[in-house]
Amino acid sequence: MTEARVRVDAVMGEIERDVRARLRQHLVKKGGAADYQDEEIFDAVHALLARAIDERNLDALLLPELVDGDVDWRLQTHLHLTTHRRGLAGRCILFVKKTLLLPMTRWLFEYSQDNFRRQDHLNRVLFACIEELALENTRLRRTIETAASASVGKPAR
Amino acid sequence: MKLACVVHRFGADIAGGSEGHCRLIAEHLAAQHDVTIVTTCARDHITWKNHYPPGESRIGLVPPKRGEREGGLRVLRFPVARERDLHRFMDLSDLVAADRATSYEQEEWFRENGPDAPELLEHLRRHGAGYDRVLFWAYRYADVYFGLPLVADRAILVPTAEEDPLIHVDALAPFFAQPKGFLFLTPEEETLVSSRGAAGKPSAVIGCGLDTAAAADLSRLDSLHLADPFVLYLGRIDPNKGCAALIRHFQRYAENGRDVQLVMAGPASMPIPEHPLIRPLGFVDDDVREALLTRARALIMPSPFESLSMVLLEAWNHGLPALVNARCKVLRGQVERADGGLYYGNTVEFIAALDYLLDHAETARQLGRQGLAYVDREYRWPIVIEKIEALLRAV
Repeated sequence: MTEARVRVDAVMGEIERDVRARLRQHLVKKGGAADYQDEEIFDAVHALLARAIDERNLDALLLPELVDGDVDWRLQTHLHLTTHRRGLAGRCILFVKKTLLLPMTRWLFEYSQDNFRRQDHLNRVLFACIEELALENTRLRRTIETAASASVGKPAR
Repeated sequence: MKLACVVHRFGADIAGGSEGHCRLIAEHLAAQHDVTIVTTCARDHITWKNHYPPGESRIGLVPPKRGEREGGLRVLRFPVARERDLHRFMDLSDLVAADRATSYEQEEWFRENGPDAPELLEHLRRHGAGYDRVLFWAYRYADVYFGLPLVADRAILVPTAEEDPLIHVDALAPFFAQPKGFLFLTPEEETLVSSRGAAGKPSAVIGCGLDTAAAADLSRLDSLHLADPFVLYLGRIDPNKGCAALIRHFQRYAENGRDVQLVMAGPASMPIPEHPLIRPLGFVDDDVREALLTRARALIMPSPFESLSMVLLEAWNHGLPALVNARCKVLRGQVERADGGLYYGNTVEFIAALDYLLDHAETARQLGRQGLAYVDREYRWPIVIEKIEALLRAV
């Protein structure tokens, strides 16, 4: 190859900068957060949220574990037919549900299932964003405390 | 060596995915080894309905070996005992995706995913020791999940793993610890599977081999009356392949008034909206495929999950730059290693990156040429087969 090599990371860096600039202008024009007029602030917020969405494993988050108390908040997208009746009556009811009612209502279940899956994903993305903010906050607090304790021992000027 | 290649379905008319990969590798290994394909009678990977007759047959263009009258690969087919219960499978898949499946339900998922071929498992149990090495394709299928442990002392797994929820189920850690060796398709897949219990085993990253692309007959496109320029999606048109998102991104792109057509070539399993700039072609034959890859301005790969994109390699084989979904680590990794295209993570980036490729024609062509150079470096058959031979010797 005689032509100069094109580096994908360099081209993507240029495109991503351009995309962020356009997005910032769009949000400012539409009345988004006033702080977005400062490019540095916008870029920092963009990077933090992008990190939460793209780099976190949405199946390994702290917040869902803590929320998981008495009430099951998770969307159940799978189908699980049950009855509180035991014995033969229970088995008959389950048979009727599975063989008669389920085929008749399955279309409705499957129609709504996509929306539930979407909502479930969005919930997990929001959990990831909150967790990323909590991490950022903790890191900042530690930095401030370290700086504060270092300055205590210094003589005043 | 006497080799068995175990794959869930196999046929002259089954081209894509792990089945196609198995076939290509097996055909090339057959030049040096005694290769038997061990598979099912199914053709349809959704239902696993029996289609081919059980027993031994010969398939393909492999020339006959000395002392043999017939050419082709030796294929042993076993019947599927039970078709897939799609509703049960979907319900179990939701449990797995939500990370709420018990160990029993995880095993049930593999059973329900199928194909359920007890005679195939029995063949491995009884005759597995007669093969020097047994290669398994695609860990997610029942023939592999339940078959590999029967011949673990001589098993080599081609996992074809993707970063989907299934890879995180607990049942896979002991499973991935069993094969003697691994053949991976990309470094990303190697990292993923190694983190699930395969670390430290002999392995090789092979991808797939390609021959140099022949010159395409562009007149095959005349009757299609495609717009110029057009960008290309090639493959199954399916929401799981990211096609719904691609159509959504492209519709937003077209709103900007840019006159470029999206040509989608492949069988569709989802509705494609009527749009003046979206052109579905349905299934296309190899000649049209080659012509499309030669004439397009870029290939778009929207899939969120891939273990290797063969279409991407084919595009580079034709010097075509690519625009891929950045959320798929494998696709992004391939593009970055090759310097062969751009990537996007959302609609705004899709629009900007596609604009870039169309507005910077010379840079786009250079990205395509760099993709071709990458294929020449990594994916020509002699290079790929040498890596496999080294692993066969090492295991």
